[in-house]
Amino acid sequence: MIRVRELRKRHGAQEVLRGITLDVHPGDVAAIIGPSGGGKSTFLRCLNGLERFDSGTVEIHGTTLRAGLERSLEARLQREIRSRVGMVFQQFHLFPHRSVLENVTEAPIHVARRPPEEAHTRALELLERVGLSAKAHSRPGVLSGGEQQRVAIARALAMDPEVILFDEPTSALDPRMTGEVLSVLSDLARDGLTLVVVTHAMAFARLAANRVHVFHEGRVVESGPPEQVFTEPRSAATRAFLELTG
Amino acid sequence: MFPDPADPERRIGFEIDLAHALAAELSRALGREIEARFAQGQWDKLPDLLKTGRIDLVLNGYEWTPERAQDMAATLPYYVYELQLLARADAQGADAGWAWLDAPERKAVGVLGGSAAERYLAEHHPDVELVSYDGNTNSMGDVVKGRLDATLQDLPIALFFRDDFPELEFVGPPVEPGRYVIFVRREERALCAALDRAILALRERGELRAIYERYGLWTRAQEDPRYLSLPAVETGPEPGGLGAVRAFLARNVPTLVESAGMTVLLAMLSFPLAIALGILVALGRLYGPRPVSAALAVYVEVLRGTPLMLQLFVIFYVLPSAGIRLDAFAAAILGLAINYSAYEAEIYRAGIVAVPVGQMEAALSLGMSKALALRRVVLPQAVRIVLPAVTNDFIALFKDTSVCSVITVVELTKRYNIAAMTRPAEVLPLAALAATLYLAMSYPLSILSSRLERRLRP
Repeated sequence: MIRVRELRKRHGAQEVLRGITLDVHPGDVAAIIGPSGGGKSTFLRCLNGLERFDSGTVEIHGTTLRAGLERSLEARLQREIRSRVGMVFQQFHLFPHRSVLENVTEAPIHVARRPPEEAHTRALELLERVGLSAKAHSRPGVLSGGEQQRVAIARALAMDPEVILFDEPTSALDPRMTGEVLSVLSDLARDGLTLVVVTHAMAFARLAANRVHVFHEGRVVESGPPEQVFTEPRSAATRAFLELTG
Repeated sequence: MFPDPADPERRIGFEIDLAHALAAELSRALGREIEARFAQGQWDKLPDLLKTGRIDLVLNGYEWTPERAQDMAATLPYYVYELQLLARADAQGADAGWAWLDAPERKAVGVLGGSAAERYLAEHHPDVELVSYDGNTNSMGDVVKGRLDATLQDLPIALFFRDDFPELEFVGPPVEPGRYVIFVRREERALCAALDRAILALRERGELRAIYERYGLWTRAQEDPRYLSLPAVETGPEPGGLGAVRAFLARNVPTLVESAGMTVLLAMLSFPLAIALGILVALGRLYGPRPVSAALAVYVEVLRGTPLMLQLFVIFYVLPSAGIRLDAFAAAILGLAINYSAYEAEIYRAGIVAVPVGQMEAALSLGMSKALALRRVVLPQAVRIVLPAVTNDFIALFKDTSVCSVITVVELTKRYNIAAMTRPAEVLPLAALAATLYLAMSYPLSILSSRLERRLRP
């Protein structure tokens, strides 16, 4: 489903990604963990083309992004990938000028060109699923952080993506709201959706993920099922990181 | 009078020569040195300059009128002018003389705003479309360019510029003799009397004739005794008190309100254009390829860095020589829209930049193209951010419409100028009336702006 090969990226003198090779299979829940500055978010943003990279390939469902593509071709490939890959941000990024419902119907109506009626019905179902159908006509600004993040998840789901990327979805939330969001994520995982989650929530990685990748200084230092990574870490960097997070 | 082509700092002209001759005569009569000094001022504002004391006399083709005679002291006539109609030599039917003006097709005729020519046409040829100018040569030029059918000028001016406009031809005989007089402040009776004596002495000695002949301005009318003295001013009982106020309002409110309509129209039509153009320029600067964004940066700087009046002049008077001929109204709308598009572009650029980057990323992540993301997500939020600034600019543009008077658009300020020219004694109440109209129109906008600002504050 996702095949990343030898992905490299520099920010000026600093090499942020130093050759990442990683696979995500259909139905996987992949947790990406590791110390800050290890390249986790940058990697995730390369997957749907929000960041350019310097070399290597990102292949999603047969569409391949590589460095140095001609601009219009690149834009077309990016749109192709993004219409199948959802993304949820740390800071939610809901559209503040539209209601909760309109946030969810925006892409189905204007990108996928579905009939508005159908998009509304589906959006209300999704809001029901994340427990927010009562807020459908509120503005995002009046919702709590946890509620906003659940709307953002419903917004991503509305395009029926094959994969959803989560960029530290609970880092801006307090523990109670973190719980709300993680339970929605676990729910999606049980339904068999493919998820790639950059997270600091170790409990989630341990319980809901089936693959854990540890990033350190732009490399994947360890990959494996959570029980192995958390109980018998093989890499010194993983051990140091796990000790720090307790 | 006009700048000397050989040395633009020096002025030459029959009135300059006359001023020096008068100064010499006054020196002789009074036994002390008196010198004529030239002062630059906008022609239609010379009476106002006189009243402020910045100049002592107005000697510049000012005709005697009863209204002016009530407001200022007038000397004896120093020149008898007549009005000369000018049209293109190839104008159809112009050989019919004055009757040509009243032919079925409506004629557009340029005149100096507030001049005797304007009054003469309004009275004797009411079907003619009057176009009011601040100076003489622009209206002659517009006849050559075909924007006007004809222009009615004081004969000395028509004679003087004959060689500069070989395309123009005199139509019919000169008409409506009138008196050029010198105006001084009303209380300066002694100065006025001394000037009268000097004018008589110069005429007596043939010096006046010599000056006029030097400039090719001598006409038979100069010897017509009917025009060498001043007519009596009828000082009928002016309605006083409330009656006078009512007469003043009845005379001015309808015309000023009508011209305020033109001001509103100019603002309402040009501002939406300015916004649309401004948004395109802002988008081009932010997202266009490098050459486009650099060119647009120059566009913005040039338009912000040069005066609106100059831009209007270029559009109205210079573009026709490049084959782009716009009427005054279209030129005014275009000029205002282009000028303000530069300001709107900068406001919108700031507004777009102020929308968090995450909004664009979230929109792209949903599969939107950049254009769709801009239209659906970024621009609507930018509009909210810039709304107060844009409303503010609309108020500014609203007042800047007054500049359009320089290209013959008659809006509120121009109408005020014309009214003040015709009745100089009423300058103050007229200015108050015009200002009140501007305020009545812009204050509601002001309130709207501050209300928007309050409502949109996060």
